[in-house]
Amino acid sequence: MTLLDQDHQPSRRQFLTLVGAGVGAAAARLGAGPAFAQGGAPVKIGVLAIRAGIAAPVGAAGLRATEWWAERVNKAGGILGRPVQLVVEEESNPKDTVERYRKLVLQDQVEVVLGGISTGVTLALGPVAEDLGTPWLSWDGTTQKGVEETMPNPKWAFKSVDNEVEAIVAGILTPKYFKGIKTVAGIGNDYSYGHDCWESYQAVLKRYLPDVKFVLELFPKLGVTDFTSHIAAIQQSKADLLMCSFWSGDATIIMKQAAAVGLFKTMKGVFTTAGGVHDSLKKEFTPEGLLLGYNTMYFDDPKGSALLKQFVREYKAKHNEYPPYECDHAYFNAESYKAAVEKAAGAAKRWPEKAQVVKALEGIEIESLSGRRSWREDHVQMCSFYQGMTTHKNSYDFVTISPVEVVSTRQAMKPAGAKLFDWISGWKI
Amino acid sequence: MAAGLQVVFGVQKIFNLACGSFYALGAYAGVSAVGWYASAGGPPALFVVPLALAGLAVGAVGVVVERGLLRFVYDRDETFQLLLTFAVVLMMEDAIRMIWGTSPRSTSGLYLTYGQLQLLGATVPVYNLIVIAASLVIALAIGWLLTRTAFGRIMRAAADNREMAEALGVDMRRVYAKVFTLGTALGTLGGALVIPATAAMSEMGIELIVEAFAVVVIGGLGSMRGAFVGALAVGVLRSIAISVYPELEMLLIYLIVIVVLVLRPRGLFGGAAA
Repeated sequence: MTLLDQDHQPSRRQFLTLVGAGVGAAAARLGAGPAFAQGGAPVKIGVLAIRAGIAAPVGAAGLRATEWWAERVNKAGGILGRPVQLVVEEESNPKDTVERYRKLVLQDQVEVVLGGISTGVTLALGPVAEDLGTPWLSWDGTTQKGVEETMPNPKWAFKSVDNEVEAIVAGILTPKYFKGIKTVAGIGNDYSYGHDCWESYQAVLKRYLPDVKFVLELFPKLGVTDFTSHIAAIQQSKADLLMCSFWSGDATIIMKQAAAVGLFKTMKGVFTTAGGVHDSLKKEFTPEGLLLGYNTMYFDDPKGSALLKQFVREYKAKHNEYPPYECDHAYFNAESYKAAVEKAAGAAKRWPEKAQVVKALEGIEIESLSGRRSWREDHVQMCSFYQGMTTHKNSYDFVTISPVEVVSTRQAMKPAGAKLFDWISGWKI
Repeated sequence: MAAGLQVVFGVQKIFNLACGSFYALGAYAGVSAVGWYASAGGPPALFVVPLALAGLAVGAVGVVVERGLLRFVYDRDETFQLLLTFAVVLMMEDAIRMIWGTSPRSTSGLYLTYGQLQLLGATVPVYNLIVIAASLVIALAIGWLLTRTAFGRIMRAAADNREMAEALGVDMRRVYAKVFTLGTALGTLGGALVIPATAAMSEMGIELIVEAFAVVVIGGLGSMRGAFVGALAVGVLRSIAISVYPELEMLLIYLIVIVVLVLRPRGLFGGAAA
């Protein structure tokens, strides 16, 4: 909360004046660029986080990971000796969020903006970021309209993985784990994400199982809390398998209401994204043997790094929850920015211009919580997706997955410039 | 919850958007109560008792909201009521997030404590039947309260003609506080009872409020019978839509509202009460 505190405005202004004076004096004296003279002054990093509504838990996870990162970096001496200071603003609707973005860049004069989850919002942020000429690294938002990229060659905007990748990964894994599937029903939220996931999943599955029939598709509104009628319709469809792309509390609810009528006693299940609320999928109502997707970070990865283990431990201790994937989108954004600044600074350790940082970000690969992550040349996040079969064999009261399938975006995300469905139909299987 | 909305609107002429938050609050209180109950070793078969008690207990918030906020806007334009109760919605959402956190909360496996029944070829959790029975009991109890008790007569008198009731010596402030608390408790109880079948989410109230208003409009503002029939009609028609033509599901509730408003502008049972 203190991060949102704007009460220090006057003193901050005085402070900036002082810094400004110092910069001038130092520049005059040393003949160096302004960056050198700023050494020690905090580097301001803007953060946009959703704080209300259905995606508030996702926003909270991203913000918590960013704060964890900032604490660590500051303990270790900051970035090139400058401590990190987060300026947090709320992500809400596109119009207001764009205004807050402008405020971060123009008024707070941050060096970089991190965050952005809803693609509805980040589609609007993309062009603004290009205009304002400050690097923007998006946690989970893309600049896709549906599955089509709208900004193929951005200069300042860095975007998340394509929205439909987890559905594609699930489509690749479905034939491996569920042999003999003939009919499939689908349920997803009634907006771009739900529809795109369903389309992509169907396209991929068709490649592996050309005879598969899609017998039912349901798109309840985002935020619905009663699925008894939907489940009845799914039962009636007598499909062999249900594909569900819910990612918020509705995933928990449909699981519970499905268990109440024994849906998964007769039907297989694929939950592409329910790992976003993984610790609410209690064993009592979540059966074993479902395919469950954790997006791009699996907190309990047996092959996880020491960094991941430390993060999970400290996150649990502080927030009494186990971290979801959004944490690693956020961590990667922040850490890759730091790495890019240090790379661009070079041996002279001069604070680089924003444009130099952006150049350094392109193609950079770093160690993130879930493993190696990088920025593709066209500014799209490259990482791995974690999915697997649900199991009760663990020490938690919720399900985990075993075995863990790790699928890289190199395999499951369309290459820069490609059309999604052309690309899928071109696969050699 | 629709019943709560009706009681409050009928008597106080207040559009209470906050009833959605009361619903959410009841749900969270229910989750916590059942959690404590289970960790204290209570027999699982009786979990509905702490659940319902928790739901009723947090209904006390109604007094605070009514005495602390709403009483200042009774004589103002409806817009003030809408704004104020919407502010309560936003504050409660944040309060819930601060107390219970951001993840969805649920009561784990208690939903199936009472087992499942085979009914006409479908599997029905017994708990669903308990909730249906409970809502019938609540409906009957409110009917009895409104028509058979002195307080019910005062409520109806106040709804009909506030000035006259006041002139006859009824302390309206107390009536209002009681009525609003009753309405709140109906909302929180509803939230608590439904929670074993679903999961508590901080924004669940906002989602429900639209639907509750549609139900109330269909049934007729201020009519208890209307709320009951409206809820039933919306529920049944929606289920039919999902299994017959899923695309229609969301549209349907508004179609019914439009049809009802065109044919019977006061709602199905709106005639006398509103």
